[in-house]
Amino acid sequence: MRVLGDLESTIMDRMWSYRRPASVRDVLEDLRRDREIAYTTVMTVMDKLHKKGLLRRQALGKAYIYEPVLTKEAFTAQQMRETLANSGNQAATLVHFLERLTPEESAALEAALRVYPPRGLGS
Amino acid sequence: MIAGVLAVYAVLATTLLPRLLIRARWADRAPRLAITLWLAACTSAIASAALSAVAAAIPPDAIGHSLASLIEACFAMLDDGVDLGTMSAGSWLVLLSGGLVVARAAYGVGAVMFTAWRERRRHAEMLRILGRRDHELDAIVLEYGEPLAYCLPGRQAKTVVTTAALQALTPEHLAAVLAHERAHLRGRHHLVLALADGLDRAFPGVPLFSRAKEEVVRLVELRADDVAAHRHPRVHIAAALVSLATGRAPAFALGAGGENALTRVRRMLRPAVPLGQREKLAGVTAVGVLLAGPAVVMLFPGLTALIAHHCHDLFVF
Repeated sequence: MRVLGDLESTIMDRMWSYRRPASVRDVLEDLRRDREIAYTTVMTVMDKLHKKGLLRRQALGKAYIYEPVLTKEAFTAQQMRETLANSGNQAATLVHFLERLTPEESAALEAALRVYPPRGLGS
Repeated sequence: MIAGVLAVYAVLATTLLPRLLIRARWADRAPRLAITLWLAACTSAIASAALSAVAAAIPPDAIGHSLASLIEACFAMLDDGVDLGTMSAGSWLVLLSGGLVVARAAYGVGAVMFTAWRERRRHAEMLRILGRRDHELDAIVLEYGEPLAYCLPGRQAKTVVTTAALQALTPEHLAAVLAHERAHLRGRHHLVLALADGLDRAFPGVPLFSRAKEEVVRLVELRADDVAAHRHPRVHIAAALVSLATGRAPAFALGAGGENALTRVRRMLRPAVPLGQREKLAGVTAVGVLLAGPAVVMLFPGLTALIAHHCHDLFVF
């Protein structure tokens, strides 16, 4: 399970790096440069990634060609927005280091920080 | 009588107690004690409401005589179908409402915990695909333009920092931030928050629970700052806080506004005197009274009877 999870991450990274659609065969050949891996394994993982909504696919002859639904940046942004939007009950999910200061406030605080010399541990 | 006292106490605890607790100036100096006090107040209110129902449902003479007969009566009610059958409809109704209060509280907290667990799992899955494990930092680094640091509690707890946060912070400041996040994880703050959040959802609009939630959300941050300050200079925590809180896109200004950030930075720069022994003792006593209070009131007649009985024995011998 753990290994499959890592493989999902590896395959997504490869897919994002191609910047063009790729078939299971393409990805397999790419991965085989680093390790021994079976066609069916790659196919299974890519099918899973498709079901999870990360890859979209199109039939081309007998096989599918795959392509990331979103760029890595867009996908990260979407995921983070969702996570943070859910955290109206921030409480339960994630504890955020998510404070916000206005420019005036932070300017004042930065001035205060310059006045305070570090006084060693725990001081 | 007992039922009445407990019911009045429950009402006062949910309405007046939060006003009293919110005024406690010392809370920011001892956030952990303050969190405990808020949670004890919540538990106390629910326990008194439930016990009030039990007291109203069991026959008064059972409570009146002695502790032994009270316990006997309770057991009889629990495992004797015949006895239950003889209970009046009113008693049933009262007992049922007491049970409902407890069930509602348990359901509220359970639901929050479940949702949180599911969201955490989803987020962990996303991190597995997008994140990069940094062994030196012992954290997951996420390529992202917003400076964020947070933790994902649970069995496989994770600390997460975004690349933007790495750029915004010096190594010392980053270490302080990570210590803050690990303090959340080690302190099991997500459970504390789930409890406060769950009760607020179970009984919306009840002043005690809504205030408790707001305060607990704020206080766990102060507590994590304090824990981080054991190992890191306070000024680093303050500086990190300012760097991370500055220039944040409005979409990411959730929950706490600038007010809490200001309090936190000021606390780090100008540490308040920790509570003295006497103040601490007073706080711990208050927690004890809140937790034990309802049960003591419930058992009061029984206890006095028991003591009277023993004293009588003492006189005899």
